[in-house]
Amino acid sequence: MNLDAFDDDSCLIYGIGNVGRQDDGLGWAFVDWLQAEDICSNAELRRNYQLLLEDAELISTKRRVLFVDATQDEAVTSFTLERAAPKMDFTFTSHAISIPAVMATCRQCFERLPEVHVLAIRGFEFELELGLTPAAQRNLDDATAHLSQGFSSTKVL
Amino acid sequence: MSRKLVIDPVTRIEGHGKVTVNLDDDGNVVDARLHVVEFRGFEKFVQGHPFWEAPMLMQRICGICFVSHHLCGAKVLDDMIGVGAEGEIGLTRTAEKIRRLGHYAQMLQSHATAYFYLVVPEMMFGMDAAPEQRNLLGLIEADPALMRRVIMLRKWGQEVIKTVFGRRMHGINSVPGGVDKNLTRAECDRLLNGEEGLPSIDEIIDYAQDGLRLFHDFHEKHRSAVDDFAHVPALNMSLVDAEGNVDYYHGMLRIIDENKRTVGEFDYHDYLDHFSEAVEEWSYMKFPFLKHLGREKGSVRVGPLARMNVTNSLSTPLAQEALERFHAYTGGIPNNMTLHTNWARTIEVLHAAELIEVLLRDPDLQKQDLIVTPAPGAWVGEGVGVVEAPRGTLLHHYRAGAEGDITFANLIVATTHNNQVLNRTVRSVAEDYLVGRGEITEAMMNAIEVGIRAYDPCLSCATHAYGQMPLVVTVYDPAGNVLNERVRS
Repeated sequence: MNLDAFDDDSCLIYGIGNVGRQDDGLGWAFVDWLQAEDICSNAELRRNYQLLLEDAELISTKRRVLFVDATQDEAVTSFTLERAAPKMDFTFTSHAISIPAVMATCRQCFERLPEVHVLAIRGFEFELELGLTPAAQRNLDDATAHLSQGFSSTKVL
Repeated sequence: MSRKLVIDPVTRIEGHGKVTVNLDDDGNVVDARLHVVEFRGFEKFVQGHPFWEAPMLMQRICGICFVSHHLCGAKVLDDMIGVGAEGEIGLTRTAEKIRRLGHYAQMLQSHATAYFYLVVPEMMFGMDAAPEQRNLLGLIEADPALMRRVIMLRKWGQEVIKTVFGRRMHGINSVPGGVDKNLTRAECDRLLNGEEGLPSIDEIIDYAQDGLRLFHDFHEKHRSAVDDFAHVPALNMSLVDAEGNVDYYHGMLRIIDENKRTVGEFDYHDYLDHFSEAVEEWSYMKFPFLKHLGREKGSVRVGPLARMNVTNSLSTPLAQEALERFHAYTGGIPNNMTLHTNWARTIEVLHAAELIEVLLRDPDLQKQDLIVTPAPGAWVGEGVGVVEAPRGTLLHHYRAGAEGDITFANLIVATTHNNQVLNRTVRSVAEDYLVGRGEITEAMMNAIEVGIRAYDPCLSCATHAYGQMPLVVTVYDPAGNVLNERVRS
């Protein structure tokens, strides 16, 4: 799968994170890269600190969704791109909710479920500071290079 | 040997708290405390910043009630530049109404979060239900149609906030002396009439009434459980207008006693003359109290229950009807039943929705007079702002030097005002549930949480929290010997 699959108005690309906490800004940085390179300009692009329950309604209006988030999972060497599945878990607070729980809420309350993918990019430092670490930036570059392979829109990569 | 029950963290409360209950040899409660162990320090690190940055910085305290902090800070800035005068707002009508619109939207969406997301699961499944059911996701599975309406209610509130402030979180519109953007007629009509994926105001007012209907149904079936839970007498405080009715944005601070007699009413600019703040070594959260009544008698309750106790009437028809039923239940005297805070909260959701409709139909929102420019030499350099935030009375106080850099900041957030009453509530619940029972059940632990949650405390706001500090909990027996110790790093 490459970004061609997300380049229409029925698609949503959603960066999750906080740019004020170093590598937690990876999700937003990915969306920044899309805009800078004019890639997926037909999709709806979003940035937010965390998912909210209202995002269940938002994704219910879409055919395909890509969530982009930083991960601290040491098993991830650079990035992973995986299909997500709905699941009611118990991670909810009024400040945050998991992707599977948002999907399950979408299906339960709005009787629809888009195809959801999650791009998880490995980050390393999450302290109060602007800017990605060099290692996280390399992982972001790996992810963007992988996903833009064969991207067919007008912009030449 | 005495025992100590520790609930840490208290779930479904913004920030984290710790509750300790000390039992004597016979299992009686001898003390109960809500410990707030987070440290935030916004009052310190805002120092040295230009004064006009404060409303933008301070709203970062919270991802839920950021509008309240933004507006409270903006009111301080109005004072500092010489536009806000004591007892008067000083803004243009358009600016004031736009700020109020954002404030009421905040009230609606924050209360909807607290009530539907955090409290209703408890009501629907009961305190004894398994934790994996007694939560929002359990509610979504049990009643998806209700939750769909709730999600749309919250979304609509966020759309109003986004329309006023430019973003659904941490947006900016208020500037010293006014606002920098009005609302177009089309923006107002979109929110009034709705569109695909966005409800109309009529639907929103209907959804807002879901909360009242749910409470009344639950109350009807579980009257004694609701009414007898944590009956905590307290003074009640709220901003009021000239008629003594709640004004969420501005007014005088009024404090009433258990007979609804006014025991204090003053301009909030004079808060230091009336309030002092006590500290305890076991909590980072201070304990404000009215000086003339002292530490124990002078603490106040703020928030929905306090506001509905203080106000004589509400300015919109459906909310007024709901208030009359609320007042009639206690014969017109203040209501001290902790779980009735949720009743009061649902009335305020409805009131906010109706107030928003009034403003969205007001042509003043399209006018261009947005900012009052202060006269030369009007700079005051100090200001105090107070608003009725969803959780209760919120106060910001800043001073700046001649260059405009902040030299002093003091915040008293609603949860801080409620600190003493929260501790009384914890003790009341602990006495009811723990005394005379040998087993500490999940239901008992949850009852304490329910008591705290009624106040919707934002503990990280109240200690102004940056992460969690390491904490050592030490347990003493009546003789002062250490019984137990727990360390969190």
